[in-house]
Amino acid sequence: MTCDDFQLRITAYSLGELEEAEVPAARDHLAACDRCASKVLLDRQLTAALRASAVPAPAATRAAVLTAVRAEAAGQPLPRPARRPNRRRHWAALAAALLAAAAVVAAALLVVPAPDPGSPLAAAWSSYHDQGKDGLGTPTPAEAERMFAVLGPDSRTPDLAAFGLEKTGWEARDLAGHLAAVAEYRDPTADPKHARVTLMRWRGELPRDAPGPDEGGELAAYTWGRHTSYWWRADGVVWCLVGTIDQDRLYEIAEHLGGES
Amino acid sequence: MDLEGFEAATVPHMNALYDAALRLSGDQATAQDLTQETYLRALRSFNTFAPGTNCRAWLLRIQYNLFCTQYRRGRRMPLVWLDEGEADPSLDLPSAEPGPEEEAVRRLDREAVRRAIAQLPEDFRVTVTLVDIDGLTCAEAATVMGVPRGTILSRLHRARRRLEAMLLPELGRVQADDL
Repeated sequence: MTCDDFQLRITAYSLGELEEAEVPAARDHLAACDRCASKVLLDRQLTAALRASAVPAPAATRAAVLTAVRAEAAGQPLPRPARRPNRRRHWAALAAALLAAAAVVAAALLVVPAPDPGSPLAAAWSSYHDQGKDGLGTPTPAEAERMFAVLGPDSRTPDLAAFGLEKTGWEARDLAGHLAAVAEYRDPTADPKHARVTLMRWRGELPRDAPGPDEGGELAAYTWGRHTSYWWRADGVVWCLVGTIDQDRLYEIAEHLGGES
Repeated sequence: MDLEGFEAATVPHMNALYDAALRLSGDQATAQDLTQETYLRALRSFNTFAPGTNCRAWLLRIQYNLFCTQYRRGRRMPLVWLDEGEADPSLDLPSAEPGPEEEAVRRLDREAVRRAIAQLPEDFRVTVTLVDIDGLTCAEAATVMGVPRGTILSRLHRARRRLEAMLLPELGRVQADDL
């Protein structure tokens, strides 16, 4: 066996996976070749390094898994996972968004001045609040045409029936100077307090206080009371998904709509 | 349902499952969900597990299929897995009679090793995880991934050469110090 022959088999040799018939020749070669013997040592060190990099399951994970398994075995409802896929909370951003949202919602509910009424974020929250009272109608053909001219295919109201949501209306709205397509959905089977979803889209920049993935990245949830929102920007269009339904389902909808890449 | 038997067979493999999930998904929250879902699926199909066969390989196959069908979706791999300030439990290696490789590896920067693995293409990363870290044979890894054993060996060889190149300064230093 030459060095080249051995190098092709070094991984199999180090792992003990070399064909039995080849083992004697490999050993003979190693006995005579310091260079290949040194490579084998390096290879085994690499294996040990890889093995040592293993990360054990945290105690909380072990407990959660066992709880879920025992609940399943007992036929009980599964406990909710502590966290869902890929939802990372960016706490600084969350805090900023919460402050802004709190101020706007407070303004809407308590009639106190919002800190930045000209912000699209403030306008979006106000719009969301108003829709909760008034609902949405149906746009005129002229409004629909104008929306399509501004937003293109993104002005179309997505069908979210696969997520158990019915479309209850959509409108063109002015959000701090931005023409926005606003769509309203309801989950007819849910408690009305936890049944609402609103989708807003307009062309522009992400509001300063609502940092989300800008043209690609991971979604972050911003929560205010029972309301959760996801913001992102794709192809120059800002998307704001806000609602009171289960946060996990809202995340899946945001992901479905392209809020994560 | 034989819950006791299920737990006795599967719980000893939870560290391996979680570690593999972490390497597949790249984040701890997803790794926990993936591990939990794997266990639930395993519980539901425990009657198909053949006692005496490799339970870890069986679980990893369930997990890998689950990841491919429901979790992959273009997920990005972050380079840092542990939160800043969080204790790294893997630093608590067993201390009883380490071999020369293990002793040398104690000096390695484990985070550098994890980063290097995370930079591998997914197929390579999974193969390295199954064989090098979880200790499956190439044949078992081939079953998990649904590819021929030769493909596993080839991926391993190429993956290890890449890792070696990335970690050579570390490995070389250890080798020089310890030989």
